[in-house]
This record gives sequence, structure tokens and C-alpha cells, in this order.
Amino acid sequence: MAVFKDASEVYECIGGLFRRAMTDPLSQKVADSKIAVRFNYSEPDSAITVDAKNPPPGQPYAIYEGETSAKPDVVMTMKADIAHQFWLGKVNLVAALAKGQMKAVGPIQSIIKLIPVIKPAFELYPQYLKEIGRSDLVQ
Amino acid sequence: MAKGYTGRLLRVDLSAGRLEDVPLNEKWLRLFIGGSGLAARHFAEAVRPASGGPARPDPLGPDNELIIMTGPVAGTVLPSASRFNIVARSPLSGIWGESSVGGFFGPHLKFAGYDGVIVTGAAERPVYLAIDDGRAELRDASELWGLDTYQVHARFAPDGWRVLAIGPAGERLVRFASIVHDRGHVAGRGGLGAVMGSKKLKAVVVRGRREVAVADRETIDRIRRQVLERGKESLTISTFREVGTLSAIELSLMTGDVPVKNWREGSWEEGLQALGGNNYNDTLLTGRKTCFGCPVSCKRVVRVDAQPYVVEQGPGPEYETVAAFGTMLQNTDLRSVAKLNELCNRQGLDTISCGGTVAFAFEAYERGLIGPADTGGLALSWGDAGAAGKLVEQIARREGLGKLLGEGSERFAATLGSDAQEFLMTVKGVEAPFHDPRAMHGVALQYATADRGASHLSGLTYYAELGAVYIPDLGVEPPESAQTSAGKAALHVRAQDAGQVLGGALAFCYVGGSIITGEELVAALNAVTGFEFTIAELLTAGRRIWTLKRLINSAFGMTRADDRVPRRFLEPLADGPAAGSVPDIELMLKEYYELMKLDEAGRPVRSEVGRLGLSEVAERLCPGL
Repeated sequence: MAVFKDASEVYECIGGLFRRAMTDPLSQKVADSKIAVRFNYSEPDSAITVDAKNPPPGQPYAIYEGETSAKPDVVMTMKADIAHQFWLGKVNLVAALAKGQMKAVGPIQSIIKLIPVIKPAFELYPQYLKEIGRSDLVQ
Repeated sequence: MAKGYTGRLLRVDLSAGRLEDVPLNEKWLRLFIGGSGLAARHFAEAVRPASGGPARPDPLGPDNELIIMTGPVAGTVLPSASRFNIVARSPLSGIWGESSVGGFFGPHLKFAGYDGVIVTGAAERPVYLAIDDGRAELRDASELWGLDTYQVHARFAPDGWRVLAIGPAGERLVRFASIVHDRGHVAGRGGLGAVMGSKKLKAVVVRGRREVAVADRETIDRIRRQVLERGKESLTISTFREVGTLSAIELSLMTGDVPVKNWREGSWEEGLQALGGNNYNDTLLTGRKTCFGCPVSCKRVVRVDAQPYVVEQGPGPEYETVAAFGTMLQNTDLRSVAKLNELCNRQGLDTISCGGTVAFAFEAYERGLIGPADTGGLALSWGDAGAAGKLVEQIARREGLGKLLGEGSERFAATLGSDAQEFLMTVKGVEAPFHDPRAMHGVALQYATADRGASHLSGLTYYAELGAVYIPDLGVEPPESAQTSAGKAALHVRAQDAGQVLGGALAFCYVGGSIITGEELVAALNAVTGFEFTIAELLTAGRRIWTLKRLINSAFGMTRADDRVPRRFLEPLADGPAAGSVPDIELMLKEYYELMKLDEAGRPVRSEVGRLGLSEVAERLCPGL
């Protein structure tokens, strides 16, 4: 059974992670990357774009859920279940890419710029899920 | 004779000045295939186990055999398949020494008419070996002796020669001297450059126009197209193309793989960003190069114009060298790393052992085990690339502290007392490559049991733990977690069998070869040679090759007691992605010995030796097994 029952749960949990990160030191790392990343998820179909290339005034980055006209530098495609496990720190990024569980399209240098962001988010995601009462997803 | 091979080896006796063509032993080809596998079978003939005296050959004596060996697929159109191996008894470890090299020399040796070269004896005066389209001769190298490897390359390359040369460090018998091809393709590990130096063999140069005959060109073309198409889709391949091996530096922000300050610290984000692939591309990179028939182009070309680190346009440092002279010394200046890389390449020094030994000296200085009186007044402070450069120059010249450091960190540590063992980072005398086993537990087992001492290339274990290889039909898949020890022995055994064939016998590159399937690999071998291997038989050949090397090492006196890792690998890091993680080396070794069928002395048991068809050679290497 899929972790998320519909797109709104994806946006609440994973989209919420990016919103929560805006009040965390992690936001500076995202802002420093100056890139826009679109995450395309399946099961359930959903999409989140994190845009640090064109942030709104006073914000480190913009977050768009669903379709958007924002042009991403990098597009990452995966099942929402894989995304959930990934942000819990349970998926080896390189292995997931090698196995085809994740696909990444975009300039390699931009993809590498994301790496400093990822590890701190592993700690933040389960913490955030607990904050919103979704401890059931932290396994 | 099977296709893919030229059918002959060149045997060179430098003492007698005699050259002789030797036909390939076809039975051995089916058992050991080529590359380091076939080289091991030939080398075994020269080994004499200890019997009331030291085992032979002496690593720096005339009876040591230096063997250069290609594989059957080298020189064909198969991509990423044209590396070659150089082997000898290592003067650094005293056991099996093996180093794999890319570039163009391997294919061109075959184009010149030979699958390999076996060099024994020692010349009275410096010589070089020239193989010119089937004709081989020894020539006077008096004018080359003392030149660095770039200078030797410049003498020969304009006339179409492919060059394999030692630098001054090899001439002076530095125990981690390298052999350098085309300035930036290096047989670094194990001090095989010192073996060449002991033989007064300055260089081997080859050129030729012969073609490599194959059994089934149509199948080879099909596999080539498949692999090239897959490569276009592979993020691993495109990453290696864009940032070379340097992506591992940034990836370490997630994995904790890169050692910092002689393996003491687990977190150094500022340094990893400064030394990583993106900053390298922005500040150093001027171009990319590739090896024969390889679409990846992972080799870096750099130039530095600013003093004091001026580097001429040429080969740039790769991951191991950036770790050696960057993270290991807490030095964030990529330009200085490029300079140290050029210095090591010119002088003919393995950057892994050299960097490891320099970092060891820095820590010894910090702890007061050596002082200004030992260093000639040189202060060894973390981050000081200038001091590191002076030490490297001393090592290459065997001057000052370089006399001792040129013996390698293990021999140097033995002069400093027992405290030095706390931060000595060697396995079987060989400085560890820069991948932290606390971040990837299987790598601890790989280091402990690799045929040549600490090595992350004795099999595909490291790449599997990293996640960069996924070849299920060879039994090699990334584990669920890198920072666990359970199940890693089984993974390592499978990855070792596969690696001994892929990188060893067939001399594929692990980078370009990471996207080939087992089915394609065996089909490629069969299409080139006309053999009829199955995947299972191919993996058995991998086991056979590793087992033969283990028998050779047993003859040299190696036992289970030598299968260990430095104690620092068993102490947890305080921070970083691998914080608190320690490999359970005892568990992994216990399981490994059972799976590999090794006896209490660490030797393969008789039944396993028989199963692998090694009984006859085992009887000579390990009498009474």
C-alpha cells in the first residue's frame, strides 16, 4: 500500500518539509544553491517545485505544488513512496539512481549543488512529521 | 589460438640481455583469461615459498618478475575495456603487487604484436625496451636516466610511441614509486616503479599497426551499441564525464566516505565544497581526456598560471589525489593539489601512498614523535601545502626525512615506537585508499582481504556500497545500508568474484564497466575469443584468480593475522554522516573465511583448490596444503 493516499498528503508531508525548512538553517543552503528543482511523483501523481533561482522577495525560495510555469534546472522523478523513504534517510541516492528507482535530468553540476541540502533534511523530515501528528509515517 | 589474443608474450631477461617470444598457453587462457589473472598464473612460476630462508623472489632483486598483461578485449571496439595490468612482488607489502592502468598502452601493446611482457633479471646500465610493430629490442637509456616521466614522454610521443616510464623516485627505489603512462595514467599501487628501477629499466615504449582479430564482430558491435546507448541514459556515467571521480568528494556530505585529517574527523563541509567537483570545474578544469575506446572522458585536464603552484596544461588530480593532498591534510587549495599531483606524476610517486605517508608524518609531528630536527626545520602544520610539497620532493630524492618516508609509512612508523601504531593507516604495508570503512562497512572487509593490501578495487564491493554499480546477474547490487556489517561478507565475496574478472582478467574500467550487464560481459568475452563461457563459469574464473593470488601470498608468508584493518577504522567518528558507525570486522572476517573456504592459516582448503583446478600450482606454492 502506498504511503500517501493522495496528492494532498504528499503536499502536506513532503511539501510541508520544504515549507518547514524555511524556518531552519537548512533554508540558507537551499537558497545558496540558486537552482530550481522539480520533483515529479507517481502513486499518487503529484509534483513539487522548489525554486531558489527566482525566490519571492524576502524568502529563500519558492515552493509550488502541482503544475507551475517555473522552469526547473533539475527534474527528479520517482514514486512518492521512494521520496518518503529517501527523506527519512533510508534510500541510497546513488543506488536509487543506478537502479532506476529515481531519475534525474539536468546539469550534473546543478544536481551536485543539491547534495549539501539533502543530509540535514534527513533529520528535519521525521521531526516535522511528528510535529504535524504523522508519527505513523516515521518508521 | 583463441581470437582476441595476439598469441604471444615477450619474455625479457635483462641480466642476459635476451628477448624471447613465448606462445600463450591456451589452457591457461580458459582458466585465467588475461589481465591480472593470466599474469598471476605466469608469476606463480617464479615464486619459491620460504624453506629455511626468505621466500623468493626478492621484490627488489633480479629474480622478481615484472609482468605487463592485457586482456583479450583490449584493442577491440568494446567501450571502457582497454585497461591493462602490471604485477610483481611488491616492495611495499612484500606480497602480490598489482596495479591497473588505463590510457592507450594496453591496446597499442597488442597492436605491436604482444599480449604481454614478462621482465626478469636486471640490467647493468639503464635500458629501455622498445617494441616496434612486432620487433622488440633493448636500447641504452643512459640519457633518459634521471629524467622525469613527462620528459620521457616528450622524447617518444612525437614519434607515435606509447610510453610507460618511471621517474626519479623509481630509480631511487622509493617503495611506493609508480609507473606512468602518457603523463596521467598511472600504475600507482604497490611500488612497482621501484621494481622497474631495481632492474634499471627506465621505460617500455610500443607502437604498431596490427589489428586485434575477433571471433564474432556482429555481436561485439551489438553489445557496443547497447552499452553506449545505456551510457547516454546513465547519471553515473554523465557524472563521471562532467566532474570525473571528484563527485565522491561532494557525495561524502551524505556518505561520510572521504577521510579528513588523517582519518580523524568526519565532517568538513567547507573543505569538501572547496575541493569538490563543482569548484574544481570552475577553477581548475581546462579540458577532458579519455582512454582508448571509452566514451566517458573522466580524465581531467588542468592548468594553473598563478605562483607558487604553476602547473602546465596536463593531467589534473583525480579523487584519490584530491583526498590525499586536500582532505587528508585539511588543505582547501585545489591549485596546490594540482601542483602536488603534477609533482608526483613527474617524479613517479603513487599519490595514495605518498599522501597517506605525508599525512602520517604530519600527525607524527603534531604528536611530537618527530620534530624540526627530523624535518630539517620544516614545520608540518595541517593545511600547509607548501610543507607537504617539500616532503614530497624529499621523498622523490630520498633526502632528509624523505629517506625514511620513501620506505612507506609502515616502515617509518616502526622507527617511531608503538604510539605510532595508533594512527598508522596501512593494511599489509599498503596505505589505505581514501574511502572510509566506517561509512561503508564492506570496505573494511575488502581492505583486510584484498590481494595487494588495502585496496578498494580488488572487487566491486566499494562501488556496490556507494550505490554506483547494479549488476544483478553478476550478484552485485547495492546493499540496504552501507553502515551495517551483517551480510557484507556475502556481498564482498560476490563482488570480489565479479571484480576479479571485470577489472582483473578482462581489464575493463570499473567506471565505464559499471553499466554493463553480466550477460553482456560474458557475451562480449565469447564474441571476442570464441570461447563459450557462461556467467557461472566467468564468476568461477574470478574465484580461481583470487584464490591463486591468495596462494601466492601464502607462499610469501601471509596468514590470517595479516587480514586486519588499522585500529582507527574501528574507532567511531564523533561527527559527520558516519558518526558512531564502526565496522564489525571480526564478524565479517569469520563469515568471509567460511564462504571463501580458507583454513586456520588463511590458505584455501585443498578441496577448494581442487575444485578450481589449482592443485598442481598449489602444491608448489603451499607444499602439504
